[in-house]
Amino acid sequence: MNDMMIGSASRLGRRALFTGAAAGGLVVGFGRPPEALAVGPLGAAHQGAMTGGAAPGATVAAAPVTTATVNVWVVIGSDESVKIYGAGAEMGQGIISGMAQVLAEELKVAWFRVTTAQPDAAPKYDHPVSHRRFTGGSNNIRSWFQPLLKIGATAREMLIAAAAIQLNEPASGLKAANGVVTSVSTGRSLTYGALAPIAAGLTPPASPPILSAASGYSLIGLPVKRPDIALKVNGNAKFGIDAMVPGMVFAAIKQCPVFGGTVAATPAVPAGAMAVVNLGNAVAVVSTESTWKAFQLARGLAVSWTIPPATRAAQDSQAMRAAANAIMANGPVTQAEKIGDLAAGMALAKNTISRTYSLPFTAHATMEVMTCTAAVTATSCEIWVPTQAPDACQAKAMALTGLTAAQVTVHSMFMGGGLGRKGETDYVVQAVTIAKQIGQPVKLTWSREEELTHDFYRPMAISKLTVGLNGSGDIVGWNNRIVSPSILARVFPAAVAGGLDSQSTDGAIGLPYTMGARFVEYGILTTPVPVGFWRSVGNSLNTFVVETAIDEAAAVAGMDPLAYRQKLLTSSPRLLGVLAKAAAMAGWGTKPAAGHARGIACRFSFGSYVAEVVEIATNAAGQVQVVRVDCAVDCGTTVNPDSVAAQMQSSIIQGLATALWGKITWQNGVADQQNFDTFRMMRMRDAPAINVQVIGSTANPPGGVGEPGLPPAAPALANAYFALTGKRVTSLPMFGGG
Amino acid sequence: MITLNVNGQTKQVNVDPATPLLWVLRDVLGLTGTKYGCGIEECGACTVWIEGGAEKTCQMRVSDAAGKPIVTIEGIASTPIGKAVQQAWIDLQVPQCGYCQSGMIMAAANLLRRTPKPTDAQIDAAMSNICACGTYTRVRAGIHRAAGQ
Repeated sequence: MNDMMIGSASRLGRRALFTGAAAGGLVVGFGRPPEALAVGPLGAAHQGAMTGGAAPGATVAAAPVTTATVNVWVVIGSDESVKIYGAGAEMGQGIISGMAQVLAEELKVAWFRVTTAQPDAAPKYDHPVSHRRFTGGSNNIRSWFQPLLKIGATAREMLIAAAAIQLNEPASGLKAANGVVTSVSTGRSLTYGALAPIAAGLTPPASPPILSAASGYSLIGLPVKRPDIALKVNGNAKFGIDAMVPGMVFAAIKQCPVFGGTVAATPAVPAGAMAVVNLGNAVAVVSTESTWKAFQLARGLAVSWTIPPATRAAQDSQAMRAAANAIMANGPVTQAEKIGDLAAGMALAKNTISRTYSLPFTAHATMEVMTCTAAVTATSCEIWVPTQAPDACQAKAMALTGLTAAQVTVHSMFMGGGLGRKGETDYVVQAVTIAKQIGQPVKLTWSREEELTHDFYRPMAISKLTVGLNGSGDIVGWNNRIVSPSILARVFPAAVAGGLDSQSTDGAIGLPYTMGARFVEYGILTTPVPVGFWRSVGNSLNTFVVETAIDEAAAVAGMDPLAYRQKLLTSSPRLLGVLAKAAAMAGWGTKPAAGHARGIACRFSFGSYVAEVVEIATNAAGQVQVVRVDCAVDCGTTVNPDSVAAQMQSSIIQGLATALWGKITWQNGVADQQNFDTFRMMRMRDAPAINVQVIGSTANPPGGVGEPGLPPAAPALANAYFALTGKRVTSLPMFGGG
Repeated sequence: MITLNVNGQTKQVNVDPATPLLWVLRDVLGLTGTKYGCGIEECGACTVWIEGGAEKTCQMRVSDAAGKPIVTIEGIASTPIGKAVQQAWIDLQVPQCGYCQSGMIMAAANLLRRTPKPTDAQIDAAMSNICACGTYTRVRAGIHRAAGQ
């Protein structure tokens, strides 16, 4: 969720194997190389069956297929199938497909032959430069784009070298295309399926292969079908919660409702339970029957907690807001940005706008709850887990078991949503601890109530912003003070030694608008509630503040909100580009239907530029209904425009739902929202029509797409609300007493 | 022993009769396509067909489903409308994480067999499933596509 990434042990010093050196080998079997360990029928389906374009229920030929591992990422079958491993973690964003698409571009294979899989945690699958494997910060396509091109090209060159041997011709006279190597002079050709066993035994080329010019891309940029989708329409996709291993039992968890509380005494094993495991701040109950039985037993378990009274009192929304207000008023705060002289700038102001904005804590609420299956013996630990951080899971399991990396296997399962939450490892630590203690494979599944009350929440924030405008409406002074809990204070304390958290100020400093003096400060609010990376992180907080304030400045300046932004964004042609496109799509400047109004906002984040126009209306019940959203995104080089559009749609829905209703509040240590009856999610009847246009160019490198669609949604909605009602939204959520 | 009729097959299960059907499908029969999302009939991830209707199963006692024909996501391709919905979902690349989509497809196919050409208002009324990935635009388009609209 951030560019710094969290939680993963560095693997500096280990040699990257992405060129395929020492990784070749010939495998005979049914399409599974050794690194894709079998986990019964589950493993075969999960690892082997993501076939591009396959119809639901398609059957696989029964005849054995010989496969050859050209390098650790590419396994080619005698049936011409091409299996590509993706180091990303699939949580809905289509990353495995997208990474395979980049690799396949240089490998020169037809997409319909491509299947994809997520490899187990191992150094050979780490990024060749960072030596890590973590999915977050909308980072995978950005960081892996060039390595994947090289991996694909290297494999291609090895297949060409194999053909040179077979055809007894120099490689320079051979061309690869569509999974076939052809002699330019004789026209003789050999398929990759035939060549792969030979290529697998060759040494990778010493010099880096030549890559295609972007203008020559034949696969990158196409809206190809994701191989995993076919599995997601017939129940065959195996998510973390679906793991099933022989001898497995079922665990549920009861965590101390107050953060920082501990188990006072291990409860007795209740009737019907197999075991109770004391996890320090939680108790796990194990059932041999079902997850439901474990849920029931956990719910009914009376646990005595040790909770310091002050901790309970501090886990309270009013108390936390009061603490934030005190820091806002009295500090301590740290300077985050200073440009020019604020007092001199403000002295030029004819009008000032001063507002205090507030945003709540909110939850990730992934549809799949936290879950992990673990099997631990004296010499092995095997984990099946939906995770954004397979390396970190492995490291945690090693620490808990005392086993070596080679003894700890981490199978990455499909995630039923990640959104930053599944970059944490709390649920993995719990499952491994339980499995170790009971000596039996166990699947831990949290209830929804545990998930919503034990998140690493998006931080709350308050922001006091004063904007000074001169007689022409130009911004002459910008003074923002932000108070918010720090995520990095938990995961990277050293990064906040100077009092600043780059995540908390992301979206609040370095703004693209032309301004006079700027002065931005940040103060860390310490709360008992743990905070974590939530889609777009600081941008989801600060962009609401900035884009709402810019809208208000436009109104004070007497200018149209689009025209005002265009006036102040002269140094950002790509933001101007998406603004113009989204505005054109929405019919900005034309009169909305009676009772309708539009708002606009934009933001550059995670390497991509996004503008959104939100149109709202009041429905028959007098409630605000989001009618339509028009979105333009410039993410530079675009791998799969349909996946980009899907991520914009997804981010817009989450951004709107969060602005409308999203919050977790506490009273004296108890969360007010514990399930979807009180934590409101968007549903079909609430969802607007969404139009997306992807306008990236290969002249620019790829930008991230998982998160940048989210930040503009809330302010565009709030600005539409102002246009409709004349009321400024300064506190989120808009509805539900935020 | 409770006798279940799932996807045309007869299954005997030896479980607490109070166990919700969802967990019998998942943990006992290994039909993991049907998902747990909330346990309180809010999200619809656990939707299957029972006796011709789409039902949430996270609170339905397995004993109440005994003997009744049950169709899960694993079996829906055997119905023409189920197959059409699945194909529309692939054509339009509806799923993202895919976790809620089993329930979404069961609900959509159930709507279509009752209302072959649903309006947007009918879709709004019938589809209460929660999708945290926000696939609603494509779910709506997928329903229209499966309807041949």
